Amino acid sequence: MKDEELLEMAGLCAKCGTCRTVCSLYPYRKTENAVARGKVRILESALAGENLDLPAVREAMADCLLCGRCERECPNQVLYEEIVMRARAKLADEVGIPAWKSILFGNVMPSDAAMRAIRRAGAAAQRIFLKKIPTDSGLHYRFPLKFFGDGRMFPELPSKGFIESLGKSEAVSGDVMLFVGCVFDHLFPEVGGAAYETVKICGRPVSVFRGAACCGLPALTSGDRKSAFVSMEANLRSMRVAAPETIVFPCGSCLLMFKRNIPELFKEGHPLYEDALFVAKRSIDYASFLLDSGVARKFPDPATVSFPGVIGYHDSCHLTGTLKRGDEPRKVLVRAAGSAFKEMEGADLCCGYGGAFNVRDYPTSARIGENKVSVAAKGGTKIISAACSGCIFQMRDMAARTNPSMRIVHVAELARHALFGGKEQGGRR
Amino acid sequence: MKKSAFSALDEILGKRLETSFETRASYSFDATRKNFLPDAVAFPVDTLEVQRIVELANQMRFPVVPRGAGTGFSGGSLPVHGGLVLSTELMDRILAIDTENLYVVAQPGVVTGALKEEVRKMGLFYPPDPASLKFSTIGGNIAECAGGMCAVKYGVTRDYVLALEAVLGTGEIVRTGVATMKGVAGYDLTRMLVGSEGTLGVITRATLKLVPLPESVITLLAMFTENRKAAGAVNAIVAARVIPAAMELMDRTAIDCVQATIPIDLPEGTRSVLLVEVDGSAASAPPEADRVEEACRACGALEVRRAYDAPGRDDLWKLRRSISPALLRVGAVKMNEDIVVPRSRLADMLDFLSELGARKKVTVVNFGHAGDGNIHANIMISGKDQDEYRRAEEAVAEVFKAAVDMGGTITGEHGIGIVKSPFLEMEIGPMGISVMKRLKSCFDPNGILNPGKIFPEEVAGSS
Repeated sequence: MKDEELLEMAGLCAKCGTCRTVCSLYPYRKTENAVARGKVRILESALAGENLDLPAVREAMADCLLCGRCERECPNQVLYEEIVMRARAKLADEVGIPAWKSILFGNVMPSDAAMRAIRRAGAAAQRIFLKKIPTDSGLHYRFPLKFFGDGRMFPELPSKGFIESLGKSEAVSGDVMLFVGCVFDHLFPEVGGAAYETVKICGRPVSVFRGAACCGLPALTSGDRKSAFVSMEANLRSMRVAAPETIVFPCGSCLLMFKRNIPELFKEGHPLYEDALFVAKRSIDYASFLLDSGVARKFPDPATVSFPGVIGYHDSCHLTGTLKRGDEPRKVLVRAAGSAFKEMEGADLCCGYGGAFNVRDYPTSARIGENKVSVAAKGGTKIISAACSGCIFQMRDMAARTNPSMRIVHVAELARHALFGGKEQGGRR
Repeated sequence: MKKSAFSALDEILGKRLETSFETRASYSFDATRKNFLPDAVAFPVDTLEVQRIVELANQMRFPVVPRGAGTGFSGGSLPVHGGLVLSTELMDRILAIDTENLYVVAQPGVVTGALKEEVRKMGLFYPPDPASLKFSTIGGNIAECAGGMCAVKYGVTRDYVLALEAVLGTGEIVRTGVATMKGVAGYDLTRMLVGSEGTLGVITRATLKLVPLPESVITLLAMFTENRKAAGAVNAIVAARVIPAAMELMDRTAIDCVQATIPIDLPEGTRSVLLVEVDGSAASAPPEADRVEEACRACGALEVRRAYDAPGRDDLWKLRRSISPALLRVGAVKMNEDIVVPRSRLADMLDFLSELGARKKVTVVNFGHAGDGNIHANIMISGKDQDEYRRAEEAVAEVFKAAVDMGGTITGEHGIGIVKSPFLEMEIGPMGISVMKRLKSCFDPNGILNPGKIFPEEVAGSS
């Protein structure tokens, strides 16, 4: 395995150890392999041809949440996330990626129709095979221990996705486009709905991006660049046709993809390079849009709205950390919920999801996530709000496991409650 | 290491013995950026496991290299002869905090910053503050006798170690010292182990002295037109009977380095900056700060800034904290030498360093703990030019010689390890080395613990 550029990027690491203090995984692994400088060394030894066991190196590179804390703290500004993502891609080229990933990323996620079909099949099957667990964040199903191990909870799959539930002629064009994302369309359509209803009142015509492929982040972080490009290119082409002024993302991870990763991946000369820049420039997170567009001014006096408990906000690694959009959701929450919003204990702890990490090591992902939810609960938080699909998926699972009375909601659901009231918040009952 | 050694270790440690290439690679380095691959990595959880490992190493004759967080600058935790890296990461509990007798008992793997934070909650203070405190461990700090910024007032790690438990190179467990201020029963084995760089014993438990947490801290930043004036202020402050909790000096090279990346507003003509921190009671700190300011102004300070609260103090610290990250812009390879000279010779040393840099055509960036005469002379090179590398190495040798000639030392807080072993004799002489070697053979007759460190070796490399 050779890659001069990667070797040079890794060579900037001074092995000082700062990454040990901020690594989300280190407290659970207690080994240097978990932290950035250890991984850099493992990668260097593979690139130098000292370690020829590339599948083992691939596994070592996969053992990372990509939370980005090390990169932000690094005194030498080593681009650690980029190093790991490139290494994963390189290793995927050299030794392949596991079959389940290549089917998921290559065949399912780039296709809206395939995702829809799978959700329907799953929705029918779950009632028959899985054990029901009612929680305040909606009904969950517990997988049998043998299947995923350690009692993984999965949210009830809805029979209808958010976009499916829209009328055919509804929200088809507008200079504000809502990019709902797979999770908020297929898994938690109530979030997609809340985002749409609250964005809709901005006073400009709003469309919902239909037929979207996955944003491509799961494939990209898993090293499956081919599949990632299929999704990214499909989305860019559709967006070019729609040519919206503003694209609103309720999910921070999807936004990261369009705002940072795609413009970096589509180098100058690529036929879609201009489109990538066009889209990146117009992409904005949900909370910032509410503040900029004036929706946030339409909230009633928070004293007149009641919320069923103390609301906290979870800092998503991508949204607060990488994209530096931690203040905006809080401003929205203050406008919407007033004093019901309180800064949460452990707000900036990673939820432990990490995309594919959650699948490859569910027990560890769960320990990190359970700690996250427990710390918040101990601090008196009753409702954790967030603005990223992965975090919400993970924290709902964790709450279902350990704190069933904790609600995990999207900021949009609270915004909708403040604006329109009435409807039950916090997931389906 | 022999095959039978692995199976015997496996019996002691089970899953806590790692032999995969990936883990060995992860434990092959420290902050010197040098790599030596160990044969295996052990993660013991208690003293008895450490003892069994070292006993086995004696029987089977393989090296045992203790490692805290692997953040040293002298190669102390590098397995230069292969063998077993013994990581203390899982021995990371604080065992007791005694608020009546003011001490804390900790396992070696406790992160120093975490320990400081725990005792702070009780209004107590563990002063040693190496720059790595957020990630380096108590065990590593003791083994290297880590210093830090506050040494000028509070001393270094050795001044806080009351008692130790350690596994000697023979596999025997020794308990040294006593958890009281006084104690002279026999030789001071505690101090013998402090700074022994893992060559005499594996520290498995430490009893550390605590002091009351100062209630008030004031930070001052003074700007000068030249090093001589700043160095003069350092002496004037001490002459005014103030011992600050920190007294950091940054010379023109360090200021330029920061200004090129993260511009900080400084008065025109600033060529040397002194950062001073005074602490004490709410009543005693402000007048001390006044005396510091007077001393600085009397020595020709262009300006003196002062901050009382955390955000303001952070702001004044920004220049000092930005140096390390900014250094990388000057050169990819940093030779970080932590020489010490008597406080009164500070200006002479800084003059020498700037003359040396010009003569050897290498960039030397100087900053450091002026209050205790400890200067971090960073020789920065690209790492790609052989001739430049040779000139830098010559410069390093001259720096050491100058430090010793001025009555100082070649290392204030990093230790000898492998990077300074060729220069040890220059400072302590053949007799010093001879006595140290005799002591070593007494603690570790078979040379099991951290071989290849401190003493210069004829042949370096893996065996």
